[in-house]
Amino acid sequence: MPKSWVVRGLKKGVLTTGYPDAKPTSEELPDRSQPPVPAPNADWTAGEKRCPTGAIRAGEERIDLGSCIYCRLCSSAGFAFEEEGRVTALQASLTAGHGKATGQIFGMSFHVMMIDVGSCNACNLEVLNLSNPYYDLSRLGISFTNSPKHADALIVVGALNPAMTDILKRTYESMPEPKLVISVGACAISGGIFRRAEGFVSPVGDAIPVDVTVPGCPPSPLQILEGLLLATGRMKKDDDRP
Amino acid sequence: MRGEPGGSGTARIERRNIEGLSENMQLSSVFQAGGFAYALVSDTQANKTILSELPPTLGEEFGTLLRGSDAKAGISLELEAGGKVEGYGVFEFPYGPVSWGVPEAGGFRLLTYGERVLKVIPQVNFKKRGVEQGVLGCEPEDALLLIERSAGNFSASYSTCFVTAVEDLLGLEVPSKAKWIRAVAIELERIHNHLYVFGRLAEAASQNVAAAQTQALRERVLRLNSKHFGHRYLFGFNSLGGVRRDLRKEERGNLTNDVRLIAREFSGLVEYFLSSRIFLDRLQATARLPRGDALVLGAVGPSARGSGIQWDDRLTYPLEPYEDIYVNLETEPGGDTMARTMVRVREIESSTIALRELLDRMPGDGTEGNTEGHGVGGRTEDFAFCRIESPSGDLIQVAQLDSQGRVSNLHIRPASLVNWLPFAKSLEGNVFTDFQFAFESFGLSFADSDR
Repeated sequence: MPKSWVVRGLKKGVLTTGYPDAKPTSEELPDRSQPPVPAPNADWTAGEKRCPTGAIRAGEERIDLGSCIYCRLCSSAGFAFEEEGRVTALQASLTAGHGKATGQIFGMSFHVMMIDVGSCNACNLEVLNLSNPYYDLSRLGISFTNSPKHADALIVVGALNPAMTDILKRTYESMPEPKLVISVGACAISGGIFRRAEGFVSPVGDAIPVDVTVPGCPPSPLQILEGLLLATGRMKKDDDRP
Repeated sequence: MRGEPGGSGTARIERRNIEGLSENMQLSSVFQAGGFAYALVSDTQANKTILSELPPTLGEEFGTLLRGSDAKAGISLELEAGGKVEGYGVFEFPYGPVSWGVPEAGGFRLLTYGERVLKVIPQVNFKKRGVEQGVLGCEPEDALLLIERSAGNFSASYSTCFVTAVEDLLGLEVPSKAKWIRAVAIELERIHNHLYVFGRLAEAASQNVAAAQTQALRERVLRLNSKHFGHRYLFGFNSLGGVRRDLRKEERGNLTNDVRLIAREFSGLVEYFLSSRIFLDRLQATARLPRGDALVLGAVGPSARGSGIQWDDRLTYPLEPYEDIYVNLETEPGGDTMARTMVRVREIESSTIALRELLDRMPGDGTEGNTEGHGVGGRTEDFAFCRIESPSGDLIQVAQLDSQGRVSNLHIRPASLVNWLPFAKSLEGNVFTDFQFAFESFGLSFADSDR
């Protein structure tokens, strides 16, 4: 009997998430995507000492999400984590240097390209996962391209390696204007756990101008998707978030 | 190792002079520690791993092997010295390090004559982060954070390999349940990686519905990882002397059920695939790696088993739970992309069966290890090593601690590093459009080999 992929495909029904129209579910935003929350009695100095990436700044009493790798070692110093099932806001944000009116230019069609500058492959896989049926990027008019000449935005993943620094700059230069850069994952934003490793040069933001940061280690596909929506200007401020 | 006293899983390395090595031994890795050079040799008959100190005057070949670990970008892995291909019509096609076909930073030099690929020279170290140097002087708990981020998709294998070696050095008693939970994580990791490979192959053959359905199954496995281990890629569940996550009885029942449903759906999907001539034509007789070549070039993992080599670390060098549970050794004689794919397909099934057994018969003691007395009574002079069957094959780590219990030496021999040459060899004589199929079927990862 001939087997029909079409019938099989139809039988599966719709798997795709309701985001960005609906709130993300706890399944879509995994356990480890919740940042540490300082309890009232949190010991900032002990937290800073325990933090392997310097994300906890005791002087400013602040947690730098761009450095946090969600390792949870600071829980011993009184930093709490959201319990399972409680979905908090996502964490993508525009950088201070971001000043482009992107909304009008990148409305419904947005082509992105990913470049790896020294990642552990987890961020790469999460970006690739965006095209699976659960997230289905193309329903939002966003699609992947494999040439910088066709790209509106560059997704950068990984801790910037000396070998990739020049290649990253040349890739950025060969993109047509207007162009955006989205740095995904703690490694790209700050070096993350690799910030003291031999093969780390600088945060991606020091090599090329970055417009949107998506913290996480690795960020879940929905968080990357939110970064993309922020970049296109379809999601502007916190009120727009479902 | 089977039958070793102590039963901690890793055996102390047997030291032997280079003269004491016989011909059925295979060189697995070469590394430097404390100014000396060592060779790790696998005894293929007695299923042992032997550490041999290399004499300093061993010659150029070992020198090249040792220098291969230098952090140099774009370093080329040549098959043999002087194996140049040149002539009228031979074109060198540089591929990578920025491409979508290989979604990682790494490159190839493809020497082609028309459509035919004459030689492939992989270029690695574009993303060398220096994990082995980075962990020196770290407490093992801090080193673990770096090690599980060496290769995100093989994270459970990496972290289990490292903690097992360090626990052996420190003489820590690890509860059985913790070891069983680690095995559960490793099998889940194997399933999601094999599904990834299958999805990429379907994508390469433009079987879009099939690719989407495989990706959906993989997403379900990742969500199971997140639900039961707290992280989609299994970061942070391992700790020294135990695991951070407990699997309660009802949780284990649910996990068994969910994995079984995914495996059943996948086998239905595979049936569809095997009736699609378009898909099979791309896999059969593509990138053939004969058994002899696989042995000489030292292929590991599903790539070796696809060429008929009976080698799976879970059976050859079993750690604790694998001595007690049944794992089927999946081999295929063909050596082509189809054979490697079928090995992976059947390993998803056998991993599901192994998972059910692991979850059913899990011992009931605690998961938190006793890490008191850190560094006391530990062996600081000796090396400890561990071999784990990662989804792409045999992963070896050799560790050494100093007197304060900090990491003083670490050597990682990833599976992808040794699989580059078998991959390059298999592609010779194939047409250029087969590149993607060969690359994906070997399950190669630049993050793994560059670490």
